[in-house]
Amino acid sequence: MSGFKRDRNGNAKKNDGPKAPSKNIVRNAYTPLFEGLRDELEAHHDRRDRLGKASRDITALSKKIIFSLQRVRKIDNDLPQDIQKEINTRLAEIAKLLAAIAPEVQGINRYRYSRSLVCLEELVEALTFAHYLKTQTLIGDDELSAVVEDLARQGAAAAAPEDEVMADAGTDATPAAATAKPAAAELPTVSLTDDDYVYGLFDLTGEMMRFATTTSALTGKMASGGGAADQRTIVEDMHDLGSFFEMLPLRAGNKIQWEKKLEVMRQSVQKVEKLGYDRMIRGSERPDGWVDGWVPDLSSNDQPGSPE
Amino acid sequence: MIDPALFDKLKAKIEEDTSVRKELDQIIEELNQHVSYTQGVLSRIHSTPRSKYPTLLPQVEEGIKKEVATIGKLNAFASKYPYYKYNYKWTRAIQDAIATVLLCAWLGGMGTEAKAGEVCRLLTVEEVGAIFGVPVNLLDRDAFHVTVEEYLLGLINIIDDLSRLAMNSVTMGDNELAVLISGFIKDLHAGFQVLNLKNDILRKRVDSIKYAVKKVEDVVYDLSLRNLIPAKASE
Repeated sequence: MSGFKRDRNGNAKKNDGPKAPSKNIVRNAYTPLFEGLRDELEAHHDRRDRLGKASRDITALSKKIIFSLQRVRKIDNDLPQDIQKEINTRLAEIAKLLAAIAPEVQGINRYRYSRSLVCLEELVEALTFAHYLKTQTLIGDDELSAVVEDLARQGAAAAAPEDEVMADAGTDATPAAATAKPAAAELPTVSLTDDDYVYGLFDLTGEMMRFATTTSALTGKMASGGGAADQRTIVEDMHDLGSFFEMLPLRAGNKIQWEKKLEVMRQSVQKVEKLGYDRMIRGSERPDGWVDGWVPDLSSNDQPGSPE
Repeated sequence: MIDPALFDKLKAKIEEDTSVRKELDQIIEELNQHVSYTQGVLSRIHSTPRSKYPTLLPQVEEGIKKEVATIGKLNAFASKYPYYKYNYKWTRAIQDAIATVLLCAWLGGMGTEAKAGEVCRLLTVEEVGAIFGVPVNLLDRDAFHVTVEEYLLGLINIIDDLSRLAMNSVTMGDNELAVLISGFIKDLHAGFQVLNLKNDILRKRVDSIKYAVKKVEDVVYDLSLRNLIPAKASE
């Protein structure tokens, strides 16, 4: 207690705590019925709140991963070390959050709370983007689902040893509690829905557009895998992805959202197209290897050829 | 860049989703027709004295039987897919169907061999589920069921209708029914206060109950002012 209220004479007032709500509920024949349903509704609201909080955190972490990835300057099997490290830390945090919510989104609850789990779209965006930057390919939905499920399991595994340490530190630790650990394969995980995947892919096109813009401005080349001149560039990849979405049938669930995303995707494709054209026209006026002011990979300690 | 198999798979998934939605739309449309007919028959309570209920209520029950048959179809089809993926499509129709059953039972219909119908009987969510032949409030497996929210929203639906009936029953000279309704609505109003509601659709609808309470209180006030409350009902 930080203090108490006083009356005008300076004496402490007695009843200064918050008054207990004097909710005089008149009991009647239907009260038990409502009391039973109340617990049901409360469990639902509480769960939705918890998921919403975790979702916000996962969204924020995923966005940070995307920011890190936007500092990469080329498509390469190995991301620059410091960026990879940043991503790994974020992923570990995401893994913990996923493991925490996993038990709440099993079975029927997966779709019940899919609106509270918009974070998964963001996570898909981050993971597909990272996969693209490494391999210049689009990761499939099954493959990605496995990655996310693995994350949740890792998070659960990472959380478990902590409990053990804490139990050991306590003087009256019960060893029985620490030994009962379920096998990793049985741990509940978070599954991706088709919507999470497809809408995440839509957002991926936006990130690829930003990536194409910054890399071509800073390195003077369209991003492409490896160094060979005949390599496929990001322009072609964007065209592939664009046609991919154009050929997909209109998703019936939320037409407005689908069409909005489709429109944004088209704009991204066209921006990259324009970049490719500019490169062709103006790039040829520049000597080979010339760039507008050499800008190092933001991960300067990870230059190719630098001593490891 | 993209594995062609991935495209084919996603395309197939979206196409399947679309055909599921189409099929659901058809079933729900059918359910809506039955519900709308049953509501229509039920609207005659406002001009039918209680003595005629024995001929009116069986007609309502006929409508409800058709609702139940369609809900059976919906149950069989929807249980094949994640329940909450498509729940939003039929939840309104189910709420309305629940309301018809609740109202019919409250008026004395929906009697069974074990338990005869009587006026002022409120079916529980389990009883509604039993009538529809579907589970209620499923938490442990993913299949079609009636949710607690749907039951409560259906219940709020009939409160409005009953408050209207309170007035019309007085017009038909049945003051006792008006007093019964008044007691029922007030009890429910108190019951809903027990729930801790979030700012959602249920909260909004629960807030509307007070207008029904006001309406029936006015009716009872008018009756008591003129000493028209039957002795039996006022006990």
